[in-house]
Amino acid sequence: MIVGEQKPLAEIKEIVGPYRKLLILGCGTCVKTCFAGGEDEVATLASALRLIFKKEGQNIKIEEFTIERQCENEFIQEASEAIGRNDSVLSLACGAGVQAIARRFAKIPVLPGVNTTFIGVLESQGVFTEECSGCGNCELAIFGGVCPITRCSKKLLNGPCGGSRHGICEVSPDTECAWQLIIERLEALGQVHNLRCYISPKDWSSSNSGGPRRLVREDHII
Amino acid sequence: MNKPFKPKITLFHCINSFNESASLSLNGANNVEIKTVRLPCSSMVKDVFLLRSFESGADGVLVLVCPEDQCRYVEGSIRAKKRVGWVQNVLDEIGLDGRRLSIRNTSSGNGATTDKILQETVAVLTDLGPNPAA
Amino acid sequence: MKMEHMSKLEQILSRGEFAVTTECGPPRGADSEVVIKKGETLRGYVDAVNVTDNQTAIVRMSSISACTHLLNIGLEPVMQMVTRDRNRIALQSDILGAYSLGIRNILCLSGDHQIFGSQPDALNVFDIDSMNLIRTVKTMRDEGKDMSGFDLKEPPKMYIGAAANPFADPFEYRVIRLAKKIDAGTDFIQTQCVYNMERFTEWMRLAREEGLTEKVQILAGVTPLKSVGMARYMSKKVAGIDIPEAITKRMGEVPKEKAIDEGIKICLETIAQLRDIKGVSGVHIMAIEWEEKVGEIVESAGLLPRPL
Repeated sequence: MIVGEQKPLAEIKEIVGPYRKLLILGCGTCVKTCFAGGEDEVATLASALRLIFKKEGQNIKIEEFTIERQCENEFIQEASEAIGRNDSVLSLACGAGVQAIARRFAKIPVLPGVNTTFIGVLESQGVFTEECSGCGNCELAIFGGVCPITRCSKKLLNGPCGGSRHGICEVSPDTECAWQLIIERLEALGQVHNLRCYISPKDWSSSNSGGPRRLVREDHII
Repeated sequence: MNKPFKPKITLFHCINSFNESASLSLNGANNVEIKTVRLPCSSMVKDVFLLRSFESGADGVLVLVCPEDQCRYVEGSIRAKKRVGWVQNVLDEIGLDGRRLSIRNTSSGNGATTDKILQETVAVLTDLGPNPAA
Repeated sequence: MKMEHMSKLEQILSRGEFAVTTECGPPRGADSEVVIKKGETLRGYVDAVNVTDNQTAIVRMSSISACTHLLNIGLEPVMQMVTRDRNRIALQSDILGAYSLGIRNILCLSGDHQIFGSQPDALNVFDIDSMNLIRTVKTMRDEGKDMSGFDLKEPPKMYIGAAANPFADPFEYRVIRLAKKIDAGTDFIQTQCVYNMERFTEWMRLAREEGLTEKVQILAGVTPLKSVGMARYMSKKVAGIDIPEAITKRMGEVPKEKAIDEGIKICLETIAQLRDIKGVSGVHIMAIEWEEKVGEIVESAGLLPRPL
């Protein structure tokens, strides 16, 4: 899923400052799961902002609304009335959601309330880890299911650097060395020979180095 | 002459941690105004309920929970503590001061302790003054 | 058929003579005199001088230009090149440029992560890794082609080096990685500084067992310790450095004013032991911001005069 984190309150306050009628729009999919932009977070943020504005004597009306997914028109439609009633939207979706809303409503500023951080998994309750960079050309098969492009701090494709110690990456004590994981996994799978393969320079043209990407499924276009 | 400040406190409590009828002196106290919210377990205090109490005019919010090892739902008190910590930070960010919100462990029927906690809370709030966002 | 020598370093190593290299860190400024002064203190003591490429991710004078300053005073540089800051287009372009300036040795590295440097907010590149860089230089040199397969008019004939760290984890994999670097095209290896002789000896034994020492020249790294504090700091804070407790203890047991001498003594003992290990072709002395000590170490180690 897409993992995101709500922006600091001070920054949000700054962003919404110029507006008088604000819709805080939540998204019920990825950002809900990571406690950044679901219904509960919309309610909490709305309450916090109301307290701030009340304290400062500002009169800003805040409306709350959450849709299932901000990245699909079908759901965006449900928010159109609420959006029309306000002079600004603070979207708590990922960056894709913010843009999808902005694209639909040309005259209303759509502001980001969440920092989209990565594609990851829920490792344990409250802990999310980055696992995929969306490079467009998955090579997990040779790496035993551990992605060095995402999980090695130097994107090394041909084995660990000199900074791997006791399975930990030199960059942070909280980061496991991806190559240690790859080696252990390949050992468990009886595929250590993969470690001896020379991995050629990656073709990044399928990643966002090749510009914004587009996926077309002809069979779904009517 | 200004009237002396009489703090308004919203009290969230777990029905297992605190028995209102057993703590009569609570309502007898004349230097505080209390609204109580009963919860089946203290872990049900969501962030937004705590914030909305301040929106509704509370000067302080007190959460009374069972001792951590006595929660009937195992980790309810721990969850409540974490949430309160989070909302205390939010209150600091808002500029309301996180000390307006506190969480204390009590066990049912211990009226004397509860009174003491309440008076301590009143003392903190007297110090902080009225809720500036009320 | 043996091609003509690419560099003096290659020539010395191919003759089977014990080589001595060292390191010169370019300044955090644009003054060429700093490089020239460091170079002068090394003249006659070493066969080649590594010039670091923004080491520890701190902005310094570029490796290419500092190498050129050394060339101008008659020293042979080894240009270090990291893949952290440049994509493949810039790397290849700089290899061509470096060769055109007379640089004949290259050490291919991935580079310290920028988080350790003065600008942790920088974007890192890592378009290719050090293994890919080795292969790239090799292909440019031997096949005269760049990475796109384009025929280069004047291919850069560079002597290719790489780094190896026998002390990093996982140990079992370290020799496999060495083998991969050799397959990719490495001619010589410079290792992380050796303090843990036991582990280094074991790594060398595994390398010999795989026949790797027949295929590559290994220069073992040494760094003289200045104090017990330095030993503790490096051991704890610098990833990939392994200083056994016995060495730290030795540094701590001498009076403070004698610590430098003890550090040099340990360094000389290490060099003597390294010379006895089969497959070790030279030493790489990394005296960090202490270039003036290199001459003394080389002399005391009995490695003078250097071959011409």
